[in-house]
Amino acid sequence: MNQPQNNRLALVIGSGAVKCAAALGVWKVLNRVGIEVDLLVGCSGGSLFATTMALGYSVDECIELTQRLWNRSITRKRDTRSFLKALLPQVFKFDERFGMFDDHAMLKNLRAVFGESTFTETVVPLYLVATDFHTGEPVVLDRGTLVDALRASISVPFIWRPWRVGERLLIDGAVSNPLPVDVAIREGVELILAVGFETPAPRRIKSISRFVFHLNSVMTNNLYRANFAFHNLAHHAEIITVMPDFTQQVTLFDTYLIPYVIQQGEHAMEQQLPYLQRLLGEIHSS
Amino acid sequence: MEMNPLEAGTGRKKVALVIGSGGAKCAAALGLWQVLQEEGIQISMAVGSSGGSIYAAAISLGFDLHTTEELTLSLWTRDLMEGYATNLRRAMTGEARFNESSGLIDDGPLTERLRQAFGAASFNDARIPLYIVSTDFYTGESVVHDDGPVLDALRASIAIPMIIPPWQVGDRLLVDGAVSDPLPVDVAIKEGAQVILAMGFELPIRKRMRSYTAVTTHLNSLYMNNILKSTFAFHNLAHHAEVVLLLPELDPAIGAFSAEQFPTVIAEGARSAREQLPYLRRLLSTQPVD
Repeated sequence: MNQPQNNRLALVIGSGAVKCAAALGVWKVLNRVGIEVDLLVGCSGGSLFATTMALGYSVDECIELTQRLWNRSITRKRDTRSFLKALLPQVFKFDERFGMFDDHAMLKNLRAVFGESTFTETVVPLYLVATDFHTGEPVVLDRGTLVDALRASISVPFIWRPWRVGERLLIDGAVSNPLPVDVAIREGVELILAVGFETPAPRRIKSISRFVFHLNSVMTNNLYRANFAFHNLAHHAEIITVMPDFTQQVTLFDTYLIPYVIQQGEHAMEQQLPYLQRLLGEIHSS
Repeated sequence: MEMNPLEAGTGRKKVALVIGSGGAKCAAALGLWQVLQEEGIQISMAVGSSGGSIYAAAISLGFDLHTTEELTLSLWTRDLMEGYATNLRRAMTGEARFNESSGLIDDGPLTERLRQAFGAASFNDARIPLYIVSTDFYTGESVVHDDGPVLDALRASIAIPMIIPPWQVGDRLLVDGAVSDPLPVDVAIKEGAQVILAMGFELPIRKRMRSYTAVTTHLNSLYMNNILKSTFAFHNLAHHAEVVLLLPELDPAIGAFSAEQFPTVIAEGARSAREQLPYLRRLLSTQPVD
């Protein structure tokens, strides 16, 4: 489904790995008070949640699917070949399709949940953001199989290898557009609920891969702030930010914290609810 | 808030020269500098980030063109990368420790060359106010240097992640200005510039990547180019200062060590400046609106 009947409210879920599960807390509150979302946009980790929501699953089903998609199995196996390639690039023919973790388990999980489903099967229009690995430009995916788009959007640099979709080699949407409110703006919605996250920086850096990872986080944050500042200023759409607070560090692999993360998302949404309801009321009455 | 938009007594607008990150390509700023001198256009401040900070510093400290060209040639030589491959292998296998203050090259020679060129100069010695941008390693926030030894600020600003070790200034660990603010027009705006000459560079993008560091360098470039576009778009929109953007068209293959290419780089910097001269003159001759 690509044609929205109603262009009122978009939910945009930015990059933030496990923290993106906070979007389910937001979803829970919206469902409870009966607010419908007309458009879903996701980037990186946020793509997983935007997709399950767009397929029309209930909140409880979304939570259950999240556990099936994102658990320890996806980081259990290191990609030995990638490691050897990095170490001895000439012997093992190093190329850009490099990732520290074997992605078979992740692909298996994605296929188990989404099968061969395509964007045409969603009940709410869905847009997922990835990045062209060669040019660095954001790429908005809205056709083809959901598994391809998801696998591309979550290709965290150095963690999982890039993913080819058609002619293009794609990586993590966070490299170009960590909180893609612009996609919702382009589709002409009146209100945007933007769920965004800053990436935490580890305090201790004990290896070169940590160093690289730290810098990527820092640059994602800077890009996130600069992009958001620009779109917030340049456009007339109302953007309501939902930025959950985490007193606990939540890193890429802390999937056991998902219930806590959802709860924080719920709190953050509840705080913005009166404002959202007022704006929706104004649109309704005009 | 200044009441008079013109500089007191001089009747001229405050012109800032902002030189963005771009490694050795930043030498194109010398071409721009040459054109400004020929045209008698005076600048009121110089701002630099990463590779651009070297030229901002040289210009504001009053180095002549020839000295600065010589500095460029002696700074970026291939032997700086000595030990790089070995250090990388040892860091990857865990044989050598790699932490927040590590880099893959020995920064001794580079720091020494900067010391020879800039000695004990401090920001107070600048003839034209100088601002250099680096990045806080931990928070990723941009840090504006306008005080203390110029050498410290420069060394911090050019600390290319992973390659050149971060630099400690006071209690802050600092890296490359390009990580937070690759073309710091915002600093010039904050300092009250009315016309901003901003020379920016997109980092080269590779087609083939044959090593781990080639991939990390490529990703850094993607990030920095995207941050450049976003921060520039924001500041250009948010502020009223006139920004004249100069983007020299340089062969992407020009690397840090292409010494033989420097004359071409400088000439292209001059060409891109001349192209904007009519517009710049018009800006300088009109009275600001607010």
